[in-house]
Amino acid sequence: MKSKSKFAGMIMLLLMFALSACSGGGPNGAASSNNPDSSAPSNEAAAGTDKKEPVTIEFMGHGNPNEKKIFEKLIASFEEKYPHVTVKYTSVPPGEYSQKMTTLISSGKVPDVFYVGGPEFYRFAEAGTLLNIQSYLDQTTLFKPDNVWKQAMDRYRFDGSKVGAGDLYGLPKDVGPWAFVYNKDLFDQAGVAPPSAKAGEWTWDDMLEAAKKLTVDNNGDGKPEQYGVGAYSLESAVWANGGEYIDYDTGTVKVNEPAFYEAMQFVADLNLKHKVSPNQEAEQAMNAYTRFINGQLAMFAMGPWDQPAFWELPFNWDIAAWPASPNTGQTATWLGSMGFAVSAKSKHPQEAFDLAAFLSLDEQGQRENYQLGQAVPNLIDMAEGEFMEMDKGPQTRQVFLDIIQDYGRPDVIAFSKDTQWMDAFNQNASKVWNGDMSAKDFTAEIQPKMQELYDKGNK
Amino acid sequence: MGTKLLSGYRRKELAWLYLFVAPPVLGFLLFGLVPILFSIYISFHKWDMLSDPQWMGLANYKELLADEKVFKSLYNTVYLMIGIPIGMVLSLLLAILMNRKFAGISFMRTIYYLPVISPIIAVSLLWQWILNQDYGLLNNFLWEVFGITGPNWLGKPEWVKPSLILIGLWSGIGGNMVLYLAGLQSISSTYYEAAEIDGAGAWHKLTRITIPLLTPIHFFVIVMGIIGAFQSFSQIYVLAVDGGPEYSGATVVYYIFQHAFEYFNMGYASAVAWVLGILIFIVTLIQFKLSNRWVYQD
Repeated sequence: MKSKSKFAGMIMLLLMFALSACSGGGPNGAASSNNPDSSAPSNEAAAGTDKKEPVTIEFMGHGNPNEKKIFEKLIASFEEKYPHVTVKYTSVPPGEYSQKMTTLISSGKVPDVFYVGGPEFYRFAEAGTLLNIQSYLDQTTLFKPDNVWKQAMDRYRFDGSKVGAGDLYGLPKDVGPWAFVYNKDLFDQAGVAPPSAKAGEWTWDDMLEAAKKLTVDNNGDGKPEQYGVGAYSLESAVWANGGEYIDYDTGTVKVNEPAFYEAMQFVADLNLKHKVSPNQEAEQAMNAYTRFINGQLAMFAMGPWDQPAFWELPFNWDIAAWPASPNTGQTATWLGSMGFAVSAKSKHPQEAFDLAAFLSLDEQGQRENYQLGQAVPNLIDMAEGEFMEMDKGPQTRQVFLDIIQDYGRPDVIAFSKDTQWMDAFNQNASKVWNGDMSAKDFTAEIQPKMQELYDKGNK
Repeated sequence: MGTKLLSGYRRKELAWLYLFVAPPVLGFLLFGLVPILFSIYISFHKWDMLSDPQWMGLANYKELLADEKVFKSLYNTVYLMIGIPIGMVLSLLLAILMNRKFAGISFMRTIYYLPVISPIIAVSLLWQWILNQDYGLLNNFLWEVFGITGPNWLGKPEWVKPSLILIGLWSGIGGNMVLYLAGLQSISSTYYEAAEIDGAGAWHKLTRITIPLLTPIHFFVIVMGIIGAFQSFSQIYVLAVDGGPEYSGATVVYYIFQHAFEYFNMGYASAVAWVLGILIFIVTLIQFKLSNRWVYQD
């Protein structure tokens, strides 16, 4: 019985917070006392009146300690630019973020500015939690929204029922092009030509051939000390092969089509048949990452946020386009994004928007962010200019931009508010990764279940 | 007896009584009873915690009767109870071993009790390392010492539950050992002396005296063990990511958690929680009913 009361207790706690929260967030004595003197004349952002009431904005996000440090810096420069605004910044562990945000929203204690991503954005926007920032953005003269990746902005559009079109309800924090990284030294040692940075030139067959040469079992115990490829992205394989998880227009789950299961079988066979990849569970335990860092894995996957760690590596590495499917000649990968949203209930929407826009679009902030190796700049001119000229790895930075512009795609679940249908797939896919079932049989078996769950949760 | 009959002193004493009793009672009402009632209410609704709850009648309860994942997680939960009898035998043996007087005995007892007070999350993270297929302590040991290639403990559906039972045994034995130890020490030595005179050996003393006289402890251990098993969550949350391969490691409470805080189906989660609560109540009630048939009372 304890379990039940625990959950109910949590709910009640929240309700009580809701009752006591009505007065929260407003400007109060404590907030104004640590506000810098608002008579600073260099207040260009105030665009109108010189003197403004001191305001406190709450901002909540998640991330690693590095990211936290960056944001603390960015916030300090925001406060300098907007002297009447004080930002209260909270960073929570990523794993707890979604629960924490939802409970805060249900209890009425929503931060003024907070991270949104994927299914959360959909759920929050639909529930009317997020402020429509279109008019604010249209009026701003401080930033040029046209200079921001369209692919990133579109993630935060909502037309009242669907994500991807309509007014903006958020601004991108970043874009995360999921790139194909390889250990140059291992390729050189084995005398294998490295993968091409140009999409479509290097196919699955080329990769497999290279991976076989790069998988080395020195002591003959059947467990290679060095693998060819690790954590191969299933999404990448499926999309490259012309397959889809789902057609969001009709709401049809499409995993049982040949383009899908052939790609899935290809990924499974990297381990099962060709033995050029460590098995899936080992990868889930981050071992593929460790292997790559240790120089025991030739090909892997990385996001821009991996750069700082990779800069420390004792070997040469670079990024390439994901291998193309020989059936289509196409390549594809995943382009992640996290965004900033403003609460629809914020008492200071203008200031909250200013903060979101500053964090998303301010030149200085974007520069600092990419120089620390956290992200590709949101600003197109900066990404194509100084970001490309950076002297740190990866050498072929163009790949990051290609992914953003040409062949990067949103995560599968980004357009569905309820994700149980995808969980059902992931929870059972080990049958294929373990070799207990063919991808064809598995997808035929799981498709009706996924369809049922999708219909139930999203229609 | 009306208040009128009470003396001033008694009345004052009563006032103090209420004052001291108030905090836990109020605490229970606010954080216990009200949430319990609220969860009944919400179990008849569809509620994503963002918009207003929608009245659903019995729909949540009807749905869970047809939800194969509820039954799968229930099956997993009951499966994990295999650990209870194994743990009882092991902890009784351990208690008999520890029920002696020799130098360092309290140190030994402490060692066995240590897992009980270790935080379950930290313990689970350690076991994650121990059970890792490629780099884990356990499989390395199996390979180095016996030349056996160990299984993929947390990656294969058929190994997940045994792994969880193993961890449960490790962390549970110490607590039960202490209970058995207390039970053993309360058995009067006169029984054994009388049995010895009648010519009973060690085996007879164990099976005819020790085990029967410990039945109240067995009973307590079983009841608490079953309730605990029904509620197991933390180790699942850490060790069986997303419920483990093919949902083989998910328990009912994990399923409730997933619906409440990952899918935000608070109403459905409450309904499942209530069914679980009632189930635990019924099982415990049956155990108490059956107990007077086998539990020895002084």
